[in-house]
Amino acid sequence: MKFSDIKRHILTGISYFIPVVVASGLTMAIGRAIAGADVKSLGTTGLGYWLYTTGQTGMSLMVPVLCAYIAYSIAGRPAIAPGLIIGAIASQIKAGFIGGMIGGLLVGYAVILIKKYVKLPKTLSGIIPVIVIPFLSTAICAVLMFSVIGIPIIWITNALTNLLTSLSGGAKFLYGAIVGAASTFDFGGPVNKVASAYCNALLADGIGDAKVTQILGSMIPPFGIAISALITRKKYTKAEIETLKSAVPMGCVMITEGVIPIAARDIVRTVFACVVGSAVAGGLSMSWGISSPLPNGGFIAFPFFNKPVQALICLAIGSIITGVVLSLIKREVTGNDESFNDLGFELDDKELDDDLKFEKI
Amino acid sequence: MKIVAVAACTAGIAHTYIAREKLIRAAELRGHTIHCETQGTIGVEHELSTKDIEEADVVILAIDIAIDGIDRFKGKKVIKIGTASLINNPIGFVQKVEKLLQKEEK
Repeated sequence: MKFSDIKRHILTGISYFIPVVVASGLTMAIGRAIAGADVKSLGTTGLGYWLYTTGQTGMSLMVPVLCAYIAYSIAGRPAIAPGLIIGAIASQIKAGFIGGMIGGLLVGYAVILIKKYVKLPKTLSGIIPVIVIPFLSTAICAVLMFSVIGIPIIWITNALTNLLTSLSGGAKFLYGAIVGAASTFDFGGPVNKVASAYCNALLADGIGDAKVTQILGSMIPPFGIAISALITRKKYTKAEIETLKSAVPMGCVMITEGVIPIAARDIVRTVFACVVGSAVAGGLSMSWGISSPLPNGGFIAFPFFNKPVQALICLAIGSIITGVVLSLIKREVTGNDESFNDLGFELDDKELDDDLKFEKI
Repeated sequence: MKIVAVAACTAGIAHTYIAREKLIRAAELRGHTIHCETQGTIGVEHELSTKDIEEADVVILAIDIAIDGIDRFKGKKVIKIGTASLINNPIGFVQKVEKLLQKEEK
């Protein structure tokens, strides 16, 4: 059980969990838009109510899906059913996102152990996948979840929630800055996804301020780089300007990945500038107490923030800082860069002996 | 040599496809034949045929997450790498694969 394996399992869970969040977040947003801001006025019929309820139901599946697919990544298909059940328990006992993650790991390894150690006579071995694995793994993990594992997780989750809601002043700014920086840091890579999942978990508990800093942090890189390209056109290649034309619209709906090709040519400076911008924007939005009821959507979500105008100001400040900083530190494009084929570089023979090895399947 | 590969990243929107494109370009530049499947959030695209896999000298998995159909590669020489490290230096990575295979033959 290596750390890199565990990381891969958790990322697999998150990759299945993202579409659930997107689907429920957007239906919830549109439902609210139709019904007006006050959810209580929704009544019990009508398109607004239906869509909003769909979104809510979807959100309640977040943790079960995360848990099930972490377990699936470890032990394959047999782990999905127990994973869904244990995930549902994790959200029921308010162990939240952390509970779902640990539950998923627990179920995955439990299924593997059961497969390995539970042996039945040959005539009965057919019931192992049908009855033994689903029943035993679910029962064992559920009891563990309720009795042992759940308790410290609930405690941690509560402590974290209380800590975050009681922050003030400088600490609050710093917290916002960290969430903002983490959301930007790898342009939609694993760090961003973990930050996003963390904010979704808080949102499920009704705390929407970290979510805003994460939304801002996901949008600032494309806008900041675009501003920098406007100020200092000569520091970007022709291909990069073309890339920006699709990266900016993607940024409007909070997809950061569009800027990766631009960042790749100049990774250190670009990451630095984007992180600085997002940290400032995140700190500001946290200090101003901007909060979002929705998990994603980019500009679509802005009207639903408690303070949409301030959120726009944060976004503008962050993007401008990123743009200006990047323009200051970036070098001018040379002929070499124009032909930069971004395929990397040849290595010397002695550099080739590294940790690469064959994997067992 | 003949290479088959699978690319898959966490979100399944960007890294998956960047990794595929760069791996293909780097491998072809160094004179190899390559087929690369993607498993993005949209599902499997450019699916590998059984024949491709059978004929391949090496299987490259440029993945950050668990993928579907891993059993297809049982008994093959499989090399795993994260999408980010692959994108960082595709040429260097292909060189390393060549060297590893040469060592294996000796």
